[in-house]
Amino acid sequence: MIRRHPVVGAIALVVIGYLWIPILAVAVNSFNRSSLMVRWGGSTAHWYSLAFHDHNVRTGLITTLEIALGSTALSLVIAVSGSLWWRRAPARARAIYDALVYARIVLPEVVFATALFFLFFKAHFPLGIVAIIIGHSVWNSAYAAVIIQARLTGLDPAIEEAAADLGATPWRVFRRVTFAALLPAIIASGLLTFTFSFDDVVTSYFLGGPASSPLPLVLFGMIRFRITPEINAIGVMVMLFTVTLMGAAVAVFALMGSARRGRRGAFAEFYGQ
Amino acid sequence: MRRHRVLERLLVVPTAAWTLVFFVAPLVLITVFSFGSENLVTFRISFGWTASNYSAFSGSLYLATLLRSLGLSLGTTLGCALLGLPLAYFITRQRPGIQRLLLAGVIVPFWTSFLVRTYSWVNLLQSQGPIDRLAHGLTGHHVEVLYTPTSIAIGIVYSYLPLMVLPIYVALERVNPDLYDAAADLGARPWRQFRRVVLPLARPGLIAGIIIVGVPAMGEYVIPEILGGGKTLMIGNIIVNEFLDVGNYPFGSALAVSLMVVLMILLFALRRVQPAFEAR
Repeated sequence: MIRRHPVVGAIALVVIGYLWIPILAVAVNSFNRSSLMVRWGGSTAHWYSLAFHDHNVRTGLITTLEIALGSTALSLVIAVSGSLWWRRAPARARAIYDALVYARIVLPEVVFATALFFLFFKAHFPLGIVAIIIGHSVWNSAYAAVIIQARLTGLDPAIEEAAADLGATPWRVFRRVTFAALLPAIIASGLLTFTFSFDDVVTSYFLGGPASSPLPLVLFGMIRFRITPEINAIGVMVMLFTVTLMGAAVAVFALMGSARRGRRGAFAEFYGQ
Repeated sequence: MRRHRVLERLLVVPTAAWTLVFFVAPLVLITVFSFGSENLVTFRISFGWTASNYSAFSGSLYLATLLRSLGLSLGTTLGCALLGLPLAYFITRQRPGIQRLLLAGVIVPFWTSFLVRTYSWVNLLQSQGPIDRLAHGLTGHHVEVLYTPTSIAIGIVYSYLPLMVLPIYVALERVNPDLYDAAADLGARPWRQFRRVVLPLARPGLIAGIIIVGVPAMGEYVIPEILGGGKTLMIGNIIVNEFLDVGNYPFGSALAVSLMVVLMILLFALRRVQPAFEAR
Protein backbone atom coordinates (compact mmCIF):
# COMPACT_ATOMS: atom_id res chain seq x y z
CA MET A 1 0.00 0.00 0.00
CA ILE A 2 1.21 3.48 -0.81
CA ARG A 3 -0.82 5.12 1.90
CA ARG A 4 2.23 4.86 4.06
CA HIS A 5 4.68 5.33 1.25
CA PRO A 6 7.32 7.58 2.77
CA VAL A 7 8.15 9.46 -0.43
CA VAL A 8 4.56 10.62 -0.98
CA GLY A 9 4.19 11.69 2.65
CA ALA A 10 7.50 13.52 2.63
CA ILE A 11 6.66 15.43 -0.57
CA ALA A 12 3.25 16.35 0.86
CA LEU A 13 4.70 17.76 4.06
CA VAL A 14 7.42 19.70 2.22
CA VAL A 15 4.77 21.21 -0.07
CA ILE A 16 2.61 22.27 2.88
CA GLY A 17 5.71 23.87 4.40
CA TYR A 18 6.46 25.62 1.10
CA LEU A 19 2.94 27.09 1.19
CA TRP A 20 3.18 28.35 4.77
CA ILE A 21 6.77 29.45 5.42
CA PRO A 22 6.65 32.66 3.32
CA ILE A 23 3.46 33.77 5.06
CA LEU A 24 4.95 33.09 8.48
CA ALA A 25 8.09 34.98 7.41
CA VAL A 26 5.98 38.03 6.56
CA ALA A 27 4.26 37.83 9.93
CA VAL A 28 7.58 37.49 11.80
CA ASN A 29 9.23 40.32 9.86
CA SER A 30 6.32 42.64 10.56
CA PHE A 31 7.64 42.72 14.15
CA ASN A 32 11.30 42.86 13.14
CA ARG A 33 13.16 45.89 14.44
CA SER A 34 15.83 45.54 11.74
CA SER A 35 14.58 47.32 8.64
CA LEU A 36 16.83 45.32 6.30
CA MET A 37 14.99 42.16 7.40
CA VAL A 38 18.07 40.06 6.77
CA ARG A 39 18.25 38.94 10.37
CA TRP A 40 16.25 39.36 13.55
CA GLY A 41 16.85 42.68 15.28
CA GLY A 42 14.48 42.42 18.22
CA SER A 43 10.72 42.96 18.24
CA THR A 44 8.78 46.16 17.72
CA ALA A 45 5.23 47.28 16.94
CA HIS A 46 6.62 50.35 15.21
CA TRP A 47 5.76 49.18 11.68
CA TYR A 48 2.13 48.67 12.63
CA SER A 49 1.81 52.17 13.99
CA LEU A 50 3.56 53.50 10.89
CA ALA A 51 1.09 51.65 8.65
CA PHE A 52 -1.81 52.82 10.77
CA HIS A 53 -0.93 56.47 10.37
CA ASP A 54 0.04 56.27 6.71
CA HIS A 55 -2.27 58.59 4.80
CA ASN A 56 -1.96 56.70 1.50
CA VAL A 57 -2.80 53.44 3.21
CA ARG A 58 -5.89 54.90 4.82
CA THR A 59 -7.33 56.51 1.70
CA GLY A 60 -6.34 53.43 -0.27
CA LEU A 61 -8.27 51.23 2.11
CA ILE A 62 -11.40 53.36 1.78
CA THR A 63 -11.15 53.34 -2.02
CA THR A 64 -10.69 49.56 -1.99
CA LEU A 65 -13.73 49.03 0.21
CA GLU A 66 -15.88 51.22 -2.05
CA ILE A 67 -14.72 49.31 -5.11
CA ALA A 68 -15.17 45.90 -3.48
CA LEU A 69 -18.70 46.72 -2.27
CA GLY A 70 -19.74 48.19 -5.61
CA SER A 71 -18.37 45.37 -7.72
CA THR A 72 -19.79 42.71 -5.39
CA ALA A 73 -23.28 44.20 -5.59
CA LEU A 74 -23.12 44.47 -9.38
CA SER A 75 -21.67 40.97 -9.76
CA LEU A 76 -24.43 39.44 -7.66
CA VAL A 77 -27.19 41.12 -9.68
CA ILE A 78 -25.60 39.90 -12.92
CA ALA A 79 -24.85 36.40 -11.66
CA VAL A 80 -28.20 35.74 -9.95
CA SER A 81 -30.36 36.98 -12.82
CA GLY A 82 -28.13 35.22 -15.35
CA SER A 83 -28.21 31.93 -13.44
CA LEU A 84 -32.01 32.02 -13.12
CA TRP A 85 -32.27 32.52 -16.88
CA TRP A 86 -29.65 29.81 -17.52
CA ARG A 87 -31.76 27.25 -15.69
CA ARG A 88 -34.59 27.36 -18.24
CA ALA A 89 -32.58 28.45 -21.26
CA PRO A 90 -32.35 26.45 -24.51
CA ALA A 91 -29.24 24.27 -24.79
CA ARG A 92 -27.46 26.33 -27.43
CA ALA A 93 -27.92 29.63 -25.59
CA ARG A 94 -26.71 27.90 -22.46
CA ALA A 95 -23.54 26.73 -24.19
CA ILE A 96 -22.73 30.28 -25.29
CA TYR A 97 -23.41 31.58 -21.80
CA ASP A 98 -21.21 28.88 -20.23
CA ALA A 99 -18.38 29.59 -22.66
CA LEU A 100 -18.49 33.30 -21.79
CA VAL A 101 -18.43 32.57 -18.06
CA TYR A 102 -15.49 30.23 -18.54
CA ALA A 103 -13.67 32.74 -20.76
CA ARG A 104 -14.04 35.51 -18.18
CA ILE A 105 -12.41 33.29 -15.57
CA VAL A 106 -9.61 31.86 -17.68
CA LEU A 107 -8.54 34.82 -19.86
CA PRO A 108 -5.37 36.41 -18.42
CA GLU A 109 -6.29 39.56 -16.59
CA VAL A 110 -3.69 41.58 -18.48
CA VAL A 111 -5.44 40.92 -21.79
CA PHE A 112 -8.89 41.74 -20.42
CA ALA A 113 -7.76 44.87 -18.56
CA THR A 114 -5.91 46.13 -21.64
CA ALA A 115 -8.96 45.63 -23.81
CA LEU A 116 -11.34 47.36 -21.41
CA PHE A 117 -8.87 50.20 -20.92
CA PHE A 118 -8.75 50.66 -24.67
CA LEU A 119 -12.56 50.62 -24.96
CA PHE A 120 -12.87 53.28 -22.25
CA PHE A 121 -10.17 55.30 -23.97
CA LYS A 122 -11.99 55.15 -27.32
CA ALA A 123 -15.38 55.88 -25.73
CA HIS A 124 -13.94 58.76 -23.64
CA PHE A 125 -15.22 57.07 -20.52
CA PRO A 126 -13.39 58.53 -17.50
CA LEU A 127 -11.03 56.24 -15.60
CA GLY A 128 -11.46 56.00 -11.84
CA ILE A 129 -13.48 54.17 -9.23
CA VAL A 130 -16.50 53.57 -11.48
CA ALA A 131 -14.31 52.17 -14.25
CA ILE A 132 -12.60 49.83 -11.76
CA ILE A 133 -15.97 48.66 -10.40
CA ILE A 134 -17.15 47.84 -13.93
CA GLY A 135 -13.90 46.00 -14.67
CA HIS A 136 -13.97 43.92 -11.49
CA SER A 137 -17.62 43.01 -11.99
CA VAL A 138 -16.84 41.46 -15.37
CA TRP A 139 -14.73 38.62 -13.94
CA ASN A 140 -16.31 38.61 -10.49
CA SER A 141 -19.78 37.99 -11.94
CA ALA A 142 -18.35 34.89 -13.65
CA TYR A 143 -17.02 33.47 -10.37
CA ALA A 144 -20.35 34.21 -8.66
CA ALA A 145 -22.26 32.60 -11.53
CA VAL A 146 -20.30 29.34 -11.19
CA ILE A 147 -21.09 29.06 -7.48
CA ILE A 148 -24.74 30.06 -7.80
CA GLN A 149 -25.33 27.71 -10.73
CA ALA A 150 -23.83 24.81 -8.83
CA ARG A 151 -26.42 25.45 -6.15
CA LEU A 152 -29.26 25.86 -8.67
CA THR A 153 -28.61 22.49 -10.31
CA GLY A 154 -29.18 20.89 -6.91
CA LEU A 155 -32.58 22.57 -6.54
CA ASP A 156 -35.44 20.27 -7.60
CA PRO A 157 -38.01 22.22 -9.71
CA ALA A 158 -40.71 19.99 -8.19
CA ILE A 159 -40.46 21.99 -4.96
CA GLU A 160 -41.25 25.21 -6.78
CA GLU A 161 -44.07 23.53 -8.71
CA ALA A 162 -45.52 22.24 -5.44
CA ALA A 163 -45.45 25.75 -3.98
CA ALA A 164 -47.22 27.10 -7.07
CA ASP A 165 -49.82 24.30 -6.94
CA LEU A 166 -50.50 25.21 -3.32
CA GLY A 167 -51.45 28.68 -4.44
CA ALA A 168 -48.29 30.74 -4.06
CA THR A 169 -47.89 33.58 -6.54
CA PRO A 170 -44.83 33.40 -8.81
CA TRP A 171 -43.14 36.18 -6.82
CA ARG A 172 -43.84 34.36 -3.57
CA VAL A 173 -42.49 31.10 -4.99
CA PHE A 174 -39.33 32.92 -6.01
CA ARG A 175 -38.91 34.62 -2.65
CA ARG A 176 -39.77 31.71 -0.38
CA VAL A 177 -38.37 28.77 -2.35
CA THR A 178 -35.89 29.71 -5.08
CA PHE A 179 -34.22 32.68 -3.42
CA ALA A 180 -34.20 30.99 -0.02
CA ALA A 181 -32.42 27.98 -1.51
CA LEU A 182 -29.90 30.21 -3.29
CA LEU A 183 -29.14 32.40 -0.29
CA PRO A 184 -26.10 30.44 0.99
CA ALA A 185 -24.56 30.47 -2.48
CA ILE A 186 -25.31 34.19 -2.83
CA ILE A 187 -23.67 35.01 0.49
CA ALA A 188 -20.67 32.78 -0.19
CA SER A 189 -20.12 34.15 -3.68
CA GLY A 190 -20.61 37.70 -2.37
CA LEU A 191 -17.81 37.20 0.14
CA LEU A 192 -15.61 35.54 -2.47
CA THR A 193 -16.06 38.32 -5.02
CA PHE A 194 -15.49 40.94 -2.34
CA THR A 195 -12.16 39.31 -1.50
CA PHE A 196 -11.08 39.04 -5.15
CA SER A 197 -11.90 42.68 -5.69
CA PHE A 198 -10.16 43.65 -2.47
CA ASP A 199 -7.01 41.87 -3.64
CA ASP A 200 -6.90 42.96 -7.27
CA VAL A 201 -3.91 44.71 -8.83
CA VAL A 202 -3.98 44.44 -12.63
CA THR A 203 -7.51 45.60 -13.50
CA SER A 204 -7.31 48.44 -10.99
CA TYR A 205 -3.90 49.46 -12.33
CA PHE A 206 -5.30 49.94 -15.84
CA LEU A 207 -8.68 51.42 -14.99
CA GLY A 208 -7.87 53.55 -11.95
CA GLY A 209 -6.26 56.42 -13.79
CA PRO A 210 -3.97 58.79 -11.92
CA ALA A 211 -6.53 59.87 -9.31
CA SER A 212 -7.64 56.68 -7.59
CA SER A 213 -5.28 54.28 -5.82
CA PRO A 214 -6.86 51.35 -4.04
CA LEU A 215 -4.83 49.67 -1.30
CA PRO A 216 -3.25 46.91 -3.45
CA LEU A 217 -1.86 49.59 -5.78
CA VAL A 218 -0.48 51.56 -2.82
CA LEU A 219 1.16 48.36 -1.62
CA PHE A 220 2.39 47.50 -5.11
CA GLY A 221 4.01 50.93 -5.40
CA MET A 222 5.70 50.51 -2.03
CA ILE A 223 7.02 47.06 -2.97
CA ARG A 224 8.51 48.37 -6.19
CA PHE A 225 10.09 51.52 -4.86
CA ARG A 226 11.09 51.07 -1.24
CA ILE A 227 11.12 47.84 0.68
CA THR A 228 10.29 48.49 4.32
CA PRO A 229 8.90 46.27 7.09
CA GLU A 230 5.84 48.52 7.00
CA ILE A 231 4.78 46.48 3.95
CA ASN A 232 4.85 43.37 6.14
CA ALA A 233 2.66 45.03 8.75
CA ILE A 234 0.10 46.12 6.15
CA GLY A 235 0.33 42.68 4.59
CA VAL A 236 -0.43 40.93 7.87
CA MET A 237 -3.48 43.11 8.44
CA VAL A 238 -4.72 42.62 4.88
CA MET A 239 -4.19 38.86 5.15
CA LEU A 240 -6.09 38.62 8.43
CA PHE A 241 -8.95 40.54 6.87
CA THR A 242 -9.21 38.42 3.71
CA VAL A 243 -8.76 35.14 5.56
CA THR A 244 -11.59 36.10 7.91
CA LEU A 245 -13.85 36.93 4.98
CA MET A 246 -13.05 33.76 3.08
CA GLY A 247 -13.43 31.68 6.22
CA ALA A 248 -16.86 33.24 6.65
CA ALA A 249 -17.71 32.39 3.04
CA VAL A 250 -16.87 28.73 3.51
CA ALA A 251 -18.57 28.57 6.90
CA VAL A 252 -21.77 30.00 5.45
CA PHE A 253 -21.67 27.55 2.61
CA ALA A 254 -20.92 24.60 4.88
CA LEU A 255 -23.51 25.46 7.52
CA MET A 256 -26.36 26.38 5.21
CA GLY A 257 -25.56 24.03 2.36
CA SER A 258 -26.46 20.38 2.31
CA ALA A 259 -24.30 18.15 4.48
CA ARG A 260 -22.80 16.35 1.51
CA ARG A 261 -21.84 19.47 -0.36
CA GLY A 262 -20.93 21.49 2.69
CA ARG A 263 -18.18 19.14 3.77
CA ARG A 264 -16.17 19.73 0.64
CA GLY A 265 -16.55 23.45 0.97
CA ALA A 266 -17.18 26.20 -1.49
CA PHE A 267 -13.98 25.60 -3.40
CA ALA A 268 -14.91 22.10 -4.48
CA GLU A 269 -18.18 23.64 -5.58
CA PHE A 270 -16.25 26.24 -7.45
CA TYR A 271 -14.78 23.57 -9.67
CA GLY A 272 -18.26 22.32 -10.40
CA GLN A 273 -17.49 18.77 -9.43
CA MET B 1 -48.20 32.35 -17.04
CA ARG B 2 -47.18 33.72 -20.43
CA ARG B 3 -46.13 37.02 -18.91
CA HIS B 4 -44.12 35.09 -16.39
CA ARG B 5 -42.21 33.35 -19.22
CA VAL B 6 -41.40 36.67 -20.86
CA LEU B 7 -40.09 38.03 -17.57
CA GLU B 8 -37.97 34.93 -17.18
CA ARG B 9 -36.37 35.50 -20.56
CA LEU B 10 -35.63 39.08 -19.63
CA LEU B 11 -33.40 37.81 -16.84
CA VAL B 12 -30.68 37.31 -19.43
CA VAL B 13 -30.51 41.05 -20.14
CA PRO B 14 -28.10 42.18 -17.37
CA THR B 15 -25.54 39.45 -17.93
CA ALA B 16 -25.81 39.59 -21.73
CA ALA B 17 -25.51 43.37 -21.84
CA TRP B 18 -22.62 43.46 -19.38
CA THR B 19 -20.67 40.65 -21.01
CA LEU B 20 -21.15 41.96 -24.54
CA VAL B 21 -20.33 45.57 -23.78
CA PHE B 22 -17.49 45.15 -21.28
CA PHE B 23 -15.99 41.80 -22.28
CA VAL B 24 -16.70 40.81 -25.89
CA ALA B 25 -16.67 44.32 -27.39
CA PRO B 26 -13.28 45.31 -25.89
CA LEU B 27 -11.68 42.07 -27.07
CA VAL B 28 -13.07 42.57 -30.57
CA LEU B 29 -11.86 46.17 -30.47
CA ILE B 30 -8.24 45.32 -29.66
CA THR B 31 -8.28 42.52 -32.23
CA VAL B 32 -9.45 44.93 -34.92
CA PHE B 33 -6.95 47.57 -33.90
CA SER B 34 -4.08 45.12 -33.82
CA PHE B 35 -4.69 44.41 -37.51
CA GLY B 36 -5.84 47.88 -38.48
CA SER B 37 -3.84 50.11 -40.78
CA GLU B 38 -5.08 53.55 -39.83
CA ASN B 39 -1.67 54.96 -39.20
CA LEU B 40 1.92 54.06 -39.72
CA VAL B 41 2.35 52.32 -36.39
CA THR B 42 -0.69 50.12 -36.83
CA PHE B 43 0.35 49.34 -40.38
CA ARG B 44 3.74 48.16 -39.22
CA ILE B 45 2.16 45.79 -36.76
CA SER B 46 -0.15 44.10 -39.23
CA PHE B 47 2.86 43.81 -41.49
CA GLY B 48 4.80 42.03 -38.76
CA TRP B 49 2.00 39.56 -38.37
CA THR B 50 2.13 38.08 -41.84
CA ALA B 51 3.98 34.83 -42.32
CA SER B 52 6.44 36.33 -44.78
CA ASN B 53 7.72 38.73 -42.12
CA TYR B 54 7.98 36.05 -39.52
CA SER B 55 11.76 36.14 -39.58
CA ALA B 56 11.77 39.89 -38.81
CA PHE B 57 9.41 39.29 -35.91
CA SER B 58 11.39 36.35 -34.58
CA GLY B 59 14.51 38.45 -34.11
CA SER B 60 12.71 40.88 -31.89
CA LEU B 61 12.61 41.23 -28.14
CA TYR B 62 8.87 40.58 -28.25
CA LEU B 63 9.00 37.11 -29.65
CA ALA B 64 11.75 36.19 -27.19
CA THR B 65 9.55 37.46 -24.36
CA LEU B 66 6.54 35.59 -25.67
CA LEU B 67 8.61 32.39 -25.83
CA ARG B 68 9.99 33.00 -22.33
CA SER B 69 6.43 33.45 -21.04
CA LEU B 70 5.40 30.24 -22.75
CA GLY B 71 8.39 28.42 -21.24
CA LEU B 72 7.75 29.80 -17.77
CA SER B 73 4.06 28.95 -18.03
CA LEU B 74 4.74 25.36 -19.14
CA GLY B 75 7.51 24.90 -16.59
CA THR B 76 5.52 26.27 -13.66
CA THR B 77 2.45 24.25 -14.67
CA LEU B 78 4.62 21.13 -14.68
CA GLY B 79 6.08 22.16 -11.32
CA CYS B 80 2.59 22.62 -9.86
CA ALA B 81 1.57 19.20 -11.18
CA LEU B 82 4.68 17.49 -9.76
CA LEU B 83 4.12 19.03 -6.33
CA GLY B 84 0.33 19.06 -6.39
CA LEU B 85 -0.34 15.49 -7.43
CA PRO B 86 1.45 13.77 -4.52
CA LEU B 87 -0.04 16.26 -2.07
CA ALA B 88 -3.60 15.83 -3.38
CA TYR B 89 -3.22 12.05 -3.33
CA PHE B 90 -1.75 12.13 0.17
CA ILE B 91 -4.69 14.22 1.42
CA THR B 92 -7.31 11.82 0.02
CA ARG B 93 -5.66 8.90 1.84
CA GLN B 94 -6.07 10.45 5.31
CA ARG B 95 -8.94 10.21 7.77
CA PRO B 96 -11.73 12.81 7.16
CA GLY B 97 -10.69 15.06 10.06
CA ILE B 98 -7.07 15.21 8.93
CA GLN B 99 -8.20 15.65 5.33
CA ARG B 100 -10.08 18.78 6.28
CA LEU B 101 -7.11 20.12 8.21
CA LEU B 102 -4.71 19.51 5.31
CA LEU B 103 -7.15 21.04 2.83
CA ALA B 104 -7.32 24.15 4.99
CA GLY B 105 -3.51 24.10 4.97
CA VAL B 106 -3.62 24.31 1.16
CA ILE B 107 -6.50 26.76 0.80
CA VAL B 108 -5.83 29.30 3.54
CA PRO B 109 -2.52 30.53 2.02
CA PHE B 110 -4.43 31.00 -1.22
CA TRP B 111 -6.85 33.37 0.53
CA THR B 112 -4.13 35.66 1.76
CA SER B 113 -3.16 38.68 -0.27
CA PHE B 114 -1.65 37.69 -3.60
CA LEU B 115 0.64 40.72 -3.53
CA VAL B 116 1.98 40.03 -0.04
CA ARG B 117 2.57 36.37 -0.84
CA THR B 118 4.63 37.31 -3.86
CA TYR B 119 6.50 39.99 -1.97
CA SER B 120 7.38 37.56 0.82
CA TRP B 121 9.75 35.81 -1.60
CA VAL B 122 11.78 38.99 -2.01
CA ASN B 123 12.65 38.75 1.68
CA LEU B 124 13.31 35.03 1.56
CA LEU B 125 15.40 34.98 -1.61
CA GLN B 126 17.40 38.16 -1.21
CA SER B 127 21.16 37.98 -1.05
CA GLN B 128 22.16 37.28 2.60
CA GLY B 129 18.52 36.35 3.18
CA PRO B 130 17.37 33.20 5.02
CA ILE B 131 17.55 30.82 2.05
CA ASP B 132 20.90 32.15 0.89
CA ARG B 133 22.41 31.80 4.36
CA LEU B 134 20.91 28.35 4.87
CA ALA B 135 22.30 27.16 1.54
CA HIS B 136 25.67 28.74 2.26
CA GLY B 137 25.79 27.07 5.64
CA LEU B 138 24.91 23.65 4.21
CA THR B 139 26.79 23.60 0.92
CA GLY B 140 29.19 26.52 1.01
CA HIS B 141 27.60 28.02 -2.10
CA HIS B 142 25.55 31.19 -2.30
CA VAL B 143 22.07 30.99 -3.78
CA GLU B 144 21.39 34.23 -5.57
CA VAL B 145 18.26 33.68 -7.60
CA LEU B 146 16.29 36.84 -6.81
CA TYR B 147 15.40 38.85 -9.96
CA THR B 148 16.01 35.91 -12.29
CA PRO B 149 13.59 33.63 -14.16
CA THR B 150 14.10 31.12 -11.33
CA SER B 151 12.65 33.45 -8.73
CA ILE B 152 9.70 34.21 -11.05
CA ALA B 153 9.09 30.48 -11.45
CA ILE B 154 9.24 29.95 -7.68
CA GLY B 155 6.72 32.75 -7.18
CA ILE B 156 4.33 31.47 -9.84
CA VAL B 157 4.40 27.87 -8.60
CA TYR B 158 3.88 29.15 -5.08
CA SER B 159 0.89 31.32 -5.96
CA TYR B 160 -0.86 28.90 -8.30
CA LEU B 161 -0.22 25.60 -6.51
CA PRO B 162 -3.58 25.50 -4.62
CA LEU B 163 -5.36 25.84 -7.98
CA MET B 164 -3.67 22.58 -9.05
CA VAL B 165 -4.14 20.68 -5.78
CA LEU B 166 -7.89 21.32 -5.44
CA PRO B 167 -9.19 19.89 -8.74
CA ILE B 168 -6.91 16.84 -8.40
CA TYR B 169 -8.16 16.36 -4.85
CA VAL B 170 -11.76 16.55 -6.04
CA ALA B 171 -11.06 13.93 -8.74
CA LEU B 172 -9.27 11.53 -6.38
CA GLU B 173 -11.61 12.04 -3.45
CA ARG B 174 -14.34 10.02 -5.19
CA VAL B 175 -12.09 7.03 -5.79
CA ASN B 176 -12.84 3.93 -3.79
CA PRO B 177 -9.63 3.19 -1.83
CA ASP B 178 -10.19 -0.55 -2.42
CA LEU B 179 -8.92 0.07 -5.94
CA TYR B 180 -5.46 0.96 -4.61
CA ASP B 181 -5.51 -2.06 -2.29
CA ALA B 182 -6.54 -4.30 -5.18
CA ALA B 183 -3.61 -3.04 -7.24
CA ALA B 184 -1.26 -3.71 -4.32
CA ASP B 185 -2.72 -7.17 -3.69
CA LEU B 186 -2.27 -8.03 -7.33
CA GLY B 187 1.39 -7.28 -6.93
CA ALA B 188 1.80 -3.76 -8.34
CA ARG B 189 4.77 -1.95 -6.83
CA PRO B 190 4.21 1.65 -5.64
CA TRP B 191 5.51 3.28 -8.81
CA ARG B 192 3.39 1.01 -10.98
CA GLN B 193 0.34 1.64 -8.77
CA PHE B 194 0.88 5.34 -9.23
CA ARG B 195 1.29 5.13 -13.00
CA ARG B 196 -1.48 2.65 -13.73
CA VAL B 197 -4.07 3.50 -11.05
CA VAL B 198 -3.62 6.93 -9.43
CA LEU B 199 -2.56 8.86 -12.52
CA PRO B 200 -5.45 7.78 -14.78
CA LEU B 201 -7.96 8.47 -12.03
CA ALA B 202 -6.48 11.90 -11.36
CA ARG B 203 -6.42 12.84 -15.03
CA PRO B 204 -9.65 14.92 -15.24
CA GLY B 205 -8.56 16.96 -12.21
CA LEU B 206 -5.04 17.23 -13.55
CA ILE B 207 -6.26 18.65 -16.86
CA ALA B 208 -8.57 21.13 -15.10
CA GLY B 209 -5.58 22.17 -12.97
CA ILE B 210 -3.31 22.54 -16.01
CA ILE B 211 -5.83 24.90 -17.64
CA ILE B 212 -6.53 26.94 -14.53
CA VAL B 213 -2.80 27.31 -13.74
CA GLY B 214 -1.16 27.44 -17.17
CA VAL B 215 -3.42 29.99 -18.85
CA PRO B 216 -3.34 32.77 -16.23
CA ALA B 217 0.36 32.09 -15.54
CA MET B 218 1.15 32.84 -19.18
CA GLY B 219 -0.23 36.37 -18.79
CA GLU B 220 1.20 36.96 -15.33
CA TYR B 221 2.18 40.56 -14.65
CA VAL B 222 2.56 41.13 -10.91
CA ILE B 223 4.91 38.23 -10.15
CA PRO B 224 7.54 39.05 -12.82
CA GLU B 225 7.23 42.71 -11.89
CA ILE B 226 8.12 42.00 -8.25
CA LEU B 227 10.37 38.94 -8.51
CA GLY B 228 11.88 39.74 -11.91
CA GLY B 229 13.06 43.10 -10.63
CA GLY B 230 12.41 44.75 -14.00
CA LYS B 231 15.18 42.67 -15.59
CA THR B 232 13.38 39.51 -16.58
CA LEU B 233 10.10 40.26 -18.27
CA MET B 234 7.11 38.27 -19.36
CA ILE B 235 4.71 39.22 -22.12
CA GLY B 236 2.28 40.68 -19.54
CA ASN B 237 4.88 43.26 -18.47
CA ILE B 238 5.50 44.33 -22.04
CA ILE B 239 1.78 44.68 -22.73
CA VAL B 240 1.35 46.86 -19.64
CA ASN B 241 4.42 48.86 -20.60
CA GLU B 242 3.20 49.48 -24.15
CA PHE B 243 -0.17 50.64 -22.87
CA LEU B 244 0.58 52.64 -19.76
CA ASP B 245 4.13 53.95 -20.31
CA VAL B 246 4.81 54.04 -24.06
CA GLY B 247 1.19 54.68 -25.04
CA ASN B 248 1.48 52.64 -28.23
CA TYR B 249 -2.02 51.18 -28.07
CA PRO B 250 -2.12 49.39 -31.45
CA PHE B 251 1.14 47.60 -30.77
CA GLY B 252 0.07 46.75 -27.23
CA SER B 253 -3.17 45.39 -28.70
CA ALA B 254 -1.21 43.24 -31.13
CA LEU B 255 0.80 41.77 -28.26
CA ALA B 256 -2.35 41.13 -26.20
CA VAL B 257 -4.06 39.49 -29.17
CA SER B 258 -1.03 37.33 -29.92
CA LEU B 259 -1.04 36.16 -26.29
CA MET B 260 -4.73 35.36 -26.58
CA VAL B 261 -4.15 33.41 -29.81
CA VAL B 262 -1.32 31.36 -28.30
CA LEU B 263 -3.54 30.51 -25.33
CA MET B 264 -6.45 29.53 -27.57
CA ILE B 265 -4.18 27.19 -29.53
CA LEU B 266 -2.98 25.62 -26.28
CA LEU B 267 -6.54 25.21 -24.99
CA PHE B 268 -7.70 23.57 -28.21
CA ALA B 269 -4.70 21.26 -28.09
CA LEU B 270 -5.61 20.28 -24.53
CA ARG B 271 -9.21 19.64 -25.55
CA ARG B 272 -8.02 17.32 -28.28
CA VAL B 273 -5.71 15.53 -25.89
CA GLN B 274 -8.33 14.93 -23.20
CA PRO B 275 -10.75 12.63 -25.10
CA ALA B 276 -7.78 10.69 -26.45
CA PHE B 277 -6.71 10.02 -22.89
CA GLU B 278 -10.19 9.00 -21.81
CA ALA B 279 -10.63 6.56 -24.67
CA ARG B 280 -7.70 4.47 -23.49
